[in-house]
Amino acid sequence: MAPTGYSLTRDDGAERRVSLTGSVTLADGAALWQELRQALAGATAATIDLAGVARLDGGAAALLQAVRANWARGGRPFRFVGATGEVAHLLALYDSARHGAGDEPDPAPSSLLGDVGDFAHDTWRTTQAILAFLGDLVWSVGRAIRQPRTVHMGEFGLLVERAGADGLPIVMLINFLVGAILGLQGAIQLHRFGGDQFLASLVGLSVVRELGPLMTAILITGRSGAAYAAELGTMTVNEEIDALRTLGQDPQRFLVFPRVLAMVVVVPAMTIVGDFLGTLGGMAIAVGYLQQPAVVYVQVFQQWIDMLDIGTGLMKSIVFGIAIGLIACQRGLATRGGADGVGRSTTSAVVVVLFALVALDAAFTWVFSLLDW
Amino acid sequence: MTVVLEVRDLKIGYGGVPLLDEIAFDVLRGQVFAILGGSGCGKSTLLRTLIGLQAPLAGRVHFRGIGTPEQAMSPPQFGVLFQSAALFGSWTLLQNVMLPLQKWTQLPQDAVREVALARLRLVGLELAAQKLPSEVSGGMRKRAGIARALALDPPILFLDEPSAGLDPVTAAELDELILTLARGLSVTIVLVTHELPSILKIADQCLMLDREAGGVIARGAPRDLAEHAADPRVLAFFRRQSSPRNQ
Ligand SMILES: Nc1ncnc2c1ncn2[C@@H]1O[C@H](COP(=O)(O)OP(=O)(O)OP(=O)(O)O)[C@@H](O)[C@H]1O
Ligand SMILES: [Mg+2]
Repeated sequence: MAPTGYSLTRDDGAERRVSLTGSVTLADGAALWQELRQALAGATAATIDLAGVARLDGGAAALLQAVRANWARGGRPFRFVGATGEVAHLLALYDSARHGAGDEPDPAPSSLLGDVGDFAHDTWRTTQAILAFLGDLVWSVGRAIRQPRTVHMGEFGLLVERAGADGLPIVMLINFLVGAILGLQGAIQLHRFGGDQFLASLVGLSVVRELGPLMTAILITGRSGAAYAAELGTMTVNEEIDALRTLGQDPQRFLVFPRVLAMVVVVPAMTIVGDFLGTLGGMAIAVGYLQQPAVVYVQVFQQWIDMLDIGTGLMKSIVFGIAIGLIACQRGLATRGGADGVGRSTTSAVVVVLFALVALDAAFTWVFSLLDW
Repeated sequence: MTVVLEVRDLKIGYGGVPLLDEIAFDVLRGQVFAILGGSGCGKSTLLRTLIGLQAPLAGRVHFRGIGTPEQAMSPPQFGVLFQSAALFGSWTLLQNVMLPLQKWTQLPQDAVREVALARLRLVGLELAAQKLPSEVSGGMRKRAGIARALALDPPILFLDEPSAGLDPVTAAELDELILTLARGLSVTIVLVTHELPSILKIADQCLMLDREAGGVIARGAPRDLAEHAADPRVLAFFRRQSSPRNQ
């Protein structure tokens, strides 16, 4: 155990007597808490002698009083003795029995040309800010790996549940419908050329490679992306982010990190479900409209779609997840003003994420085509 | 007396537009230092600049023996009560107070809880510990914010209008608490307040700001200012009159 500023001695008489000396502070609180427990275990009456205490702080006084309150609940006698001056004063202060209970210049008028210029400028600044934020995040991932204790993962489970489990029904429904719509459109065309049996490959490839990851990411953007931006935006407006900083907590690691990680887990997981439901939507059309046996649809699907197709879709969805979490959090933390500012940053988060998803998707498609995947 | 906080040639404002200029003062250990001035004159802005949440337009803020406000933030050398209390809205009052203890001490969970409860008890909120900030009154939020600021026993406290929204009895209890912290434990307290009785009772030094003057208009012990100030705006404040320029 690390050296402490105080020392503790005990005397196991009929009445347990524990003496504390030196500097008793919250900094040594963990050791104090444990040693006091051990020193007092099994006794029927106790006295804590504080005559030798040179310094006591509020936190340590609170701990001492908490020990006493626990004893009092058990009906066992317990006394503090020897406290004088400031030490006595603080003990009394933390005694649990004590309480029951402007004018700014007008903004310049706007012109159309000026608005276009402002828009371009804002877009550039937003992009810069998001890239800088990405840099910060990568940096804090590095630090988080070295010091995992500094990351606040307490909320992680809840975040995954809210983004994942709660969003599951809508993701399933929409993907099924998209699969069915695609199936119907495809079936009409394929039927003309007598290519009914290729419906499974048409729907399967489109869903697994493109539409499943993209639709799922879009839905999660609307649900969780908007929620993150609004939540962090409200916290910014209420000075909660400032308060976090004054408590020595890095908002990046405390708020952003768990959210981005939740997205990295949830988006691919939901994409797998979405892929499945989309394929099922296509099958519903094959069976219902083309009167094709389901087995044929499944066989053709297995023949045409391999793990690489599913893998490329999932690879995309991981990057989509990072983009959603990162941009939504950045937009939220960049909120200025009041409630209207929260509205603006939520809108901005959704728009910027949707743009980023489509741009990333295009980039992926291009890269995959170069790699011949 | 040792200086703990040094402010020199400070110029503060938003977006490059200065609000107050040529602010300079020292705060001594164990002192209760009051920042006074009309609504909107920049008191909260000054406080935010002192704790490093806002960059000054010019000048510097220095914590003796520690450095810049950023350096004093982690681990936190000061506690802050924001004007809006700034409690974390999705957490209970107790969880709000527990956060800094979880982050900066090695205490086990049950001990963290006890210490946090004790801080809440100190401000008379033990029974509201499990409530969310949205479920308590504005004055109670303020008091919970004070409990959170006190959580780590910081040597310096910055309090933005701690007694705003409190009844006179609770406000007087809060004054007692501030005096205990300052006199007994040598905690340095920088606070923004409008409560004249409270200023006269607890403050050692006052700094009076004025929006139109664009800076400091008076500095000194409250009794001296109340009795000997020459500036009509200062006298108006201490004699509870409307400002001479408004008459
Ligand atoms: N985020 C901001 N951007 C631009 N100007 C601001 C901002 N916040 C405050 N101001 C302006 O700065 C001035 C000072 O605000 P500040 O909050 O510091 O006043 P105050 O002295 O604390 O007032 P009060 O006693 O009412 O709390 C005000 O005129 C306000 O309009
Ligand atoms: Mg203010």
